[in-house]
Amino acid sequence: MPLARSFVTVILSTLLLLVVCMIFAPSSISLGAFSGSLPFAAIIAIVGLGQLLVVQQGGFDLSLPGAVSLSVVVATHYPQQNDAMLYRAVLLAMAFALAAGFLNGVLVSIFRLNAIIATIGTNALLYGAVFAVSGGVPSITTNLLAEIAGGETFGFPNSIFFALAALALVSFVLKKTVVGRRFEAIGANPLAGRAAGLNVRIHRMMAYVYAQLLYCMAGVLIAGITREPTAFQGDSLLLPSVAVVVLGGTSLLGGRGYPISTVISAFFLNQLSQFALAVGVPFSAQTIIQALALGFGIGVYSIRWRVNVRKSTGSKNVEEK
Amino acid sequence: MKYSVLAKSLAFSVAATVMALGSTNIARAEVPSWCGPKKATLALLDGYGGNSWRQVTTASGKQTVELCPSITKYEYADGQGDTQKSISDIKSMAAKGIDALVVFGDAGPAVLPAITSVFKAGKVIVPYRVNVGGKEGQNYSKFIGSSFVDDGETWGKWIKSILPKGGNLLFLSGPAGNSQGLDELKGMKKVLGPEYKFVNPEPFAVTNWDPALTQKVLTAEISKDAKIDVIVSDFGPSLVGALPLFNKQNKSIPALATSDGNSLGCFWQDNQAKNPDFKLFTVATGNDNVRLAVQWAVALATGGKPPADQIFKAPAFEDSVTGKPNAVQCRKDLPGAIYLSSELPAEDQAKAVGK
Repeated sequence: MPLARSFVTVILSTLLLLVVCMIFAPSSISLGAFSGSLPFAAIIAIVGLGQLLVVQQGGFDLSLPGAVSLSVVVATHYPQQNDAMLYRAVLLAMAFALAAGFLNGVLVSIFRLNAIIATIGTNALLYGAVFAVSGGVPSITTNLLAEIAGGETFGFPNSIFFALAALALVSFVLKKTVVGRRFEAIGANPLAGRAAGLNVRIHRMMAYVYAQLLYCMAGVLIAGITREPTAFQGDSLLLPSVAVVVLGGTSLLGGRGYPISTVISAFFLNQLSQFALAVGVPFSAQTIIQALALGFGIGVYSIRWRVNVRKSTGSKNVEEK
Repeated sequence: MKYSVLAKSLAFSVAATVMALGSTNIARAEVPSWCGPKKATLALLDGYGGNSWRQVTTASGKQTVELCPSITKYEYADGQGDTQKSISDIKSMAAKGIDALVVFGDAGPAVLPAITSVFKAGKVIVPYRVNVGGKEGQNYSKFIGSSFVDDGETWGKWIKSILPKGGNLLFLSGPAGNSQGLDELKGMKKVLGPEYKFVNPEPFAVTNWDPALTQKVLTAEISKDAKIDVIVSDFGPSLVGALPLFNKQNKSIPALATSDGNSLGCFWQDNQAKNPDFKLFTVATGNDNVRLAVQWAVALATGGKPPADQIFKAPAFEDSVTGKPNAVQCRKDLPGAIYLSSELPAEDQAKAVGK
């Protein structure tokens, strides 16, 4: 089976970035730097996977900041540093996630609201809940959660294993199960899906529910990785979540999803910001470097795309001869 | 015998209670000099109320207002980090007929036009801590700044005392270009010569005071620089989550010059044994800045006597090396997100931040 184009592109871009890092900022690829920055890559990967599922159905989930922030504050405020209450806090966070997911799903797939509008509304609701739970104030995380999410196993940050587990689950379900195949088919062409007798509405709705569960996981992990997370920790994740989906090669119009490429893009994006920090240039230049590299990452697609078109027209010419 | 002891102790405790009650009554009855006879209403306007520091500050402001019986109504509004909302908060408070406004103008000069229009309408308006530009008597009644340059100087002197021959410093502050960070740097540069090298990009490493970003920035800096002798940060508690990164890279946590916080003090106590280089020096985090601003606003609105101080100077608070003015403080029984340097009693702070 040939490798997906997006996969090759992402791998090449990431390798290129690592080479650039090695030359210009070798410290950004040291072991210590990785152990500090990989947890954040894992977070971006997990929210990226959630966003991927929604994008596959031609939607956008802008309720991500509220969802992540809510699970952060639930996981820190509810237990109030009491380890014994942690599992209940996590269950509560999941309950919120399910409710928000179903709300999004019903609004978008049953009531046919525009996904952007509906999820913005849900985001506002979720932030209401964030303020109700926390009053906007950060709280210190429980030791147990800090150990689980922030600890290391075999020298790797635990959060990576969570991200890999999420990746394995999403990939397996999407690519190897009947539900997943139907899900992708509907994303690619909802009309054809309906004609084939698939329940388009349910599949679309569930995309938002699965996404929320992934956001919830990311939020709980953030609560463990940062000792005193703010109540707005999700805000900075919305753009990266969409960026990694696009970098991973999934079309914003929906259809086939690339979970592995999405996760590698998350690593790429995180490494990029780490590189910008490590080269030691002023903050303004850091932002510009990131923007340029992102533009490059997406630009790579359009170049390869044109090459492909030429190839196919070329082969057509051959046939005509 | 037993009875007499009991009777004595009983009598003593009754006497003590009476005295305690009496003295609180006296304290309550005593009106501070900045509180004049004229009745007025007062509002505290926050640009961004979403962290424990602000909660403690707000509680301190409220407590100060309560000392003055001439203030008949007290209101609070939180701009939630939104400049537009901060501006409309200021205008609507004035429109509601509030006489005195104390404003934390996080957005800086962006809120100056609103402040000016309120001042022109004849209200007392006192911006504090963040420089909003403009002039006293022209744009606002009084600006109560905090001397961040002094903070920087205080840190600089301490750094000089523990590291007389110079060394590598890492300076972390909030959003890019924030005036607090720039002033602190100015203060440090006054004291520290070129033998002290700042390893961060000029003028400071940007963290937005966000613990997650702080962690990322520190990761990059630790692996980049062979040796960091002192970290200077203007919000110590946001560093707590990131400091263990040093141990992950098999280095000792270096000396730290910053502002105080309960979680930071406790972190120092738990980790100093393992980290031989981990010395801690803090200045008071400045929750009490609001008290001075409220006192000025109340004095101007009620016809009281304005306080003598025109600028808030944060005193040094903890020094793990000399123990002066205080040894490192930690209250494990209270939340980490309180500030033991604040005048507001620790238990009241716990109530203010505890949801």
